[in-house]
Amino acid sequence: MFADDVLYEFIHSELVNYVTNKKNEDENSKTGDLSPLEYAGFITGFRIIERLTKDWPRFQNELETVKFICTDFWSSVYKKQIDNLRTNHQGVYVLQDNSFRFLNKISGSKQYLEHAPKYVSFTCGLLRGALANLGINCLVTAEIQPMPCCKFHIQVHKGKKIE
Amino acid sequence: MTIHNLYIFDKFGCLLYYAEWNRLKSSGITREEEAKLMYGMLFSLKSFVSKISPLDTKKGFVCYKTNKYALHYLETPTGLKFVLNTDVNAQNVRDLLHQIYSKVYVEYVVKNPVVNLRDPIKSELFKVKLDGMIKQFPAVSKAS
Repeated sequence: MFADDVLYEFIHSELVNYVTNKKNEDENSKTGDLSPLEYAGFITGFRIIERLTKDWPRFQNELETVKFICTDFWSSVYKKQIDNLRTNHQGVYVLQDNSFRFLNKISGSKQYLEHAPKYVSFTCGLLRGALANLGINCLVTAEIQPMPCCKFHIQVHKGKKIE
Repeated sequence: MTIHNLYIFDKFGCLLYYAEWNRLKSSGITREEEAKLMYGMLFSLKSFVSKISPLDTKKGFVCYKTNKYALHYLETPTGLKFVLNTDVNAQNVRDLLHQIYSKVYVEYVVKNPVVNLRDPIKSELFKVKLDGMIKQFPAVSKAS
């Protein structure tokens, strides 16, 4: 069990390293392009949701689906549930994790804040992929409050279903 | 019990971290010089102890005491060295050193992808957690 959790953390941070270092060499830019990370997350999420929902009935509506993401999905990936879920009932959801696992070892303040975006983009993709496979096409962005608190904003595209 | 100060060295003898809580007398030399001196002494003591021991040693050098203070030493299999100075009556310091290693160093340095393991530790979170660990150690609060 111990090695399982750590393995995911280490492999994720190496993935981040790999993607960002490669970009640095190519363009000599500091931040680089995080879309490969987001894409890797998307594919992972898309696949993982297939396994997680195999014993579940169909979800009634969008809110139910997002609730599932906050509870079961999040606890199977991050060993805890989302701390706060907010929605405007018009397709915008805000998922707040007060101690996000990829950030809670890094800092408890503003230190290292410039590194934070690298460590959330995989998870943005993960959420987008999971929701995409459940028939919700959306845009996921992250907002980092003082670390390790992180808010994921989900914006659903209305009327566009994924094939 | 009083905890005076803590040194963490990597396997190459680099000072990764230094913290002090109740240090009444300063060494009068720079921190770098002091760290080299400390590491040199530990290195000599370690080889001295292993050569002079009449029996096969398992743990090797663990601690020494003077009239005023005790120095406790923990070396991990990976070569990290934790050195903690306390007063002479301190109990269970070895446990504390183990906890500093496994609950603070491993958690907030090894698992922090932003920190390079060879560089001196600058993470604020590590500092906060270490302070917390030292202060919540049962014997510390009673004396100070």
